[in-house]
Amino acid sequence: MSFTSDPNLSAPPRSALPGWAVTCHTADPEDAAFRAGAALAHLQGVMVQPGLPLALWRDRLALEAAAATVRCSGRSEGLAELRDALHLARPGDPLGPAGEIGQAWRRAVTRPLTARGLTPLSGVAPELVRRELARPGAPIARAAATLEAVLSEAPRAETAALILADAVLAKVLGWDWIVPLLANGLTPRELRRDGDELRLACHQAVVRAAARAAGLAQDLARRAARLHAVAPKLRAKSADAAIALFLAQDALAPMALTHLMSDRAARRFCDRLVALGALRELTGRDSFRLYGL
Amino acid sequence: MEMIDRELAELPPELRWREWMRRIEAVLFTSATPVPRADLVRVVWQGAALDLLLEDLAAELADRPYEVVRVGEGWMLRTRPAYGAVIRAAADVGDREVGLSERDLAVLAAIAYHQPITRDGLKDIFGHEISRDLIGRLAARNLIAPGPRAPRRGAPYTYVTTPGFLAAFGLADLRDLPDAEALRDAGLAGE
Repeated sequence: MSFTSDPNLSAPPRSALPGWAVTCHTADPEDAAFRAGAALAHLQGVMVQPGLPLALWRDRLALEAAAATVRCSGRSEGLAELRDALHLARPGDPLGPAGEIGQAWRRAVTRPLTARGLTPLSGVAPELVRRELARPGAPIARAAATLEAVLSEAPRAETAALILADAVLAKVLGWDWIVPLLANGLTPRELRRDGDELRLACHQAVVRAAARAAGLAQDLARRAARLHAVAPKLRAKSADAAIALFLAQDALAPMALTHLMSDRAARRFCDRLVALGALRELTGRDSFRLYGL
Repeated sequence: MEMIDRELAELPPELRWREWMRRIEAVLFTSATPVPRADLVRVVWQGAALDLLLEDLAAELADRPYEVVRVGEGWMLRTRPAYGAVIRAAADVGDREVGLSERDLAVLAAIAYHQPITRDGLKDIFGHEISRDLIGRLAARNLIAPGPRAPRRGAPYTYVTTPGFLAAFGLADLRDLPDAEALRDAGLAGE
């Protein structure tokens, strides 16, 4: 999925990741580690920029991570199918195997970054979660070691391995929440490497994923600014509460707003925001629509 | 839940190891479906290497007609394929696995490769309606289960394969489906 930038939307200025950090692929471990450090430092700055809807940003990164994880597990569902499974299911409906991966990721990025917050993690024991979170070493090397340890104990637990690796990375960096990076940067083939090769792949993955995550942050900050700008034009009751929801989630079905307004009013509200250029309809369908920034 | 002594600290190391192996065997023996790793870990000491225990158990069962196999994210005890004919000759197991017609299997294969898929989707593949009975037969054998509802009129359920499907066909996961990649390349198995 691409997030095109619209120059008409007022953008909070923030310089991009320096070109030398992202351009040309390097197979030299030291060089890759150096670039990954630069990318993470840059991302740290991006995360504290005013106007970035952090929860929404993490939620969308989690969805992308889930789509990548689903691919790793040999299933064919993509981002759109995952969104449908997560946001259209009524209480009690099965999410399906892909939807469950999506839910595991969403839960991981919204819960506190502790062993207790992360469990239960399907396929691995709570002891392992605690052990990996306490692993010593440098940030990306630790995350790579976690990937390798989990996958050697449970080769098919890719979801748990990737969530835990990103959790370890975030924890060493002192972040309060998981920001899905490794899952978004590693290919299924790279995931099967080990030792130095896996560590190198993780460094390269972090550079790629951090650059994309930073780009997404710029885009979402612009869209959030646009949403705030049109908010005074909305006369619907509970418009503020509804906007807060859109700033915290990747997508919403109008159905999810019915605790705030009537079903019809919810649909009108979403369509009005689309007309004002502050929301997008994400599915391209006429029914079962989903809206988001 | 009953508390069990997982550490068995009072036993000498060798007996301790044997007891853990027996516990794992007992848990696998009583379960008709694959037992996830997280459940097995609960009956042994947390410092015990589960993989080594499972390896030792597999080695111990080497001359038995059943074996420990890994299915999906779990393990199960299963009779060795060589004894299939013998078991069928002795017992009426017609209601399991073997009770499927070629047509049932064709629909099952379509679901496996195209999941999640609705009955309408199956109709597009086969050119005719797939009966609820057939879907019900596959579901009753625990080979398929309802997946997420499809986002179209009537929100019909989609169908997905289950861990039971993997177990019945001896697959570790969907990547083991024959030639999934080649089928995808040929545009036969979705994106």
